[in-house]
Amino acid sequence: MGYFKDTFSEFYSSVIKSNWSPITGGILIALFAILLEMWGRPWGIIAGIRNWGEWFWYWVGVIDEEPIHPLWSSASVINIGFLLGAFISANLAYEFGIRIPPFLEIIKGIIGGILMGIGGALARGCNIGGFYTPFTNLSASAIPMMIGLMIGALVGVKYLLWEIEHLPSKGGTEISLKKLNPILGIIALIVLIWGGYAYFHSEDEMGALLGGSMFFAAGIGYAMHRSRICFVAAFREPFLSGEATLARAIILSMFLAMIGILFIKLLEIMPPMVYVPQTFILGALIGGFIFGIGMVIAGGCGSGSLFRVAEGQVKLIIAVIFFALTNALVRYYMDYVWKIWDKGILGKKVFLPDYLGYSGAFILLSLVLLLWYIFVTWNEKSEKFVIGI
Amino acid sequence: MAEIKADEVLDVKGLSCPMPMLKIKKALEKLASGKILEVWGTDPGTKNELKKYCEKEGHELLLVSDESGYTRFLIKKK
Repeated sequence: MGYFKDTFSEFYSSVIKSNWSPITGGILIALFAILLEMWGRPWGIIAGIRNWGEWFWYWVGVIDEEPIHPLWSSASVINIGFLLGAFISANLAYEFGIRIPPFLEIIKGIIGGILMGIGGALARGCNIGGFYTPFTNLSASAIPMMIGLMIGALVGVKYLLWEIEHLPSKGGTEISLKKLNPILGIIALIVLIWGGYAYFHSEDEMGALLGGSMFFAAGIGYAMHRSRICFVAAFREPFLSGEATLARAIILSMFLAMIGILFIKLLEIMPPMVYVPQTFILGALIGGFIFGIGMVIAGGCGSGSLFRVAEGQVKLIIAVIFFALTNALVRYYMDYVWKIWDKGILGKKVFLPDYLGYSGAFILLSLVLLLWYIFVTWNEKSEKFVIGI
Repeated sequence: MAEIKADEVLDVKGLSCPMPMLKIKKALEKLASGKILEVWGTDPGTKNELKKYCEKEGHELLLVSDESGYTRFLIKKK
């Protein structure tokens, strides 16, 4: 009995309580992203957040048509799964608490959220839906998105460096819930399992798709929170501190996910044009730029914000609220009132295999990842583009 | 460890990435060599990030203690 207890203790502290390395996280995220796409639909974050924002605008009468119910919208359900996974990760490691920041941070949450809402509308996605997933789904738009994000992140970093020199530094507060963490974690685990069970046993034909998608998204959320893989940090740190660890982990993750999804499309398990947004080139470039600034100010993108919401960071809760409201409103106007997409103002859908074949697309995108890897690694040593501390 | 008196206290409670590390780095920059910085933080990411930063720069991470409502760090500048 003692042996069992010791083994469990050791397992708990080395697997559940400790932080996983970014490389481990990146590999697991790629795995779950492939499984999610194969099972139901590609991974995205912003569409689910927008669904929640649409409900607000519907209730206040700005939007006429009732949005899809959040428990039946696949985008919303994968976000719920992601949140549950991250929440379970936080609580089982005693990392959940209500963290209330000083006022300036709350303003940054609002502004960052609004910028991400706008940028994410132009780019038809965030770091996941506009970058990670289109890239791994072989869309050319991911390349201008990446460039936009990098330039935006640089602008964001310049702001942060100005801020720490000129604006006062204050602390906030934490409402500690450490003692409740294990119970909250277990309740969330039960909700996740029961929710999955309910989907699989529902009469609705979407039930199995949603149930499985929710589980795989929970896996992504858990792995992301445990390893603290942050897309914002991947873009920001090379300019801020020179650190390229997270960028490398994401590069690896994208490479692996791309291979899996390439086969999913080649074997026609998923239609080829899935997650090839109509944003090549302007929507991705400009949207990426605006989103890049917003994400650095907010301290989280779509995925990073959600996993920080799940650990109780109030700044990111506020950022997600404004992100949701802004993105839903802007997309409503762009889609239906100004008909931006019908007019094709922000770009075209460019599926790389249509132009280069599957092997050509794979080689091009791998080269992009390699260039990114070389850049951040060289920059880490030479500090040529490091403007921070 | 409660006997160690800090030369400077930095409150980054409630702040989330990247603010805690940015403010810690700035505070350490201003400190004279050998002086001790006390930090109060609540971001779960800070523990690992600070440990790596101290290893990289040669500062001594004297203490990481979970208090009620925050984590207390004591760093001795190299």
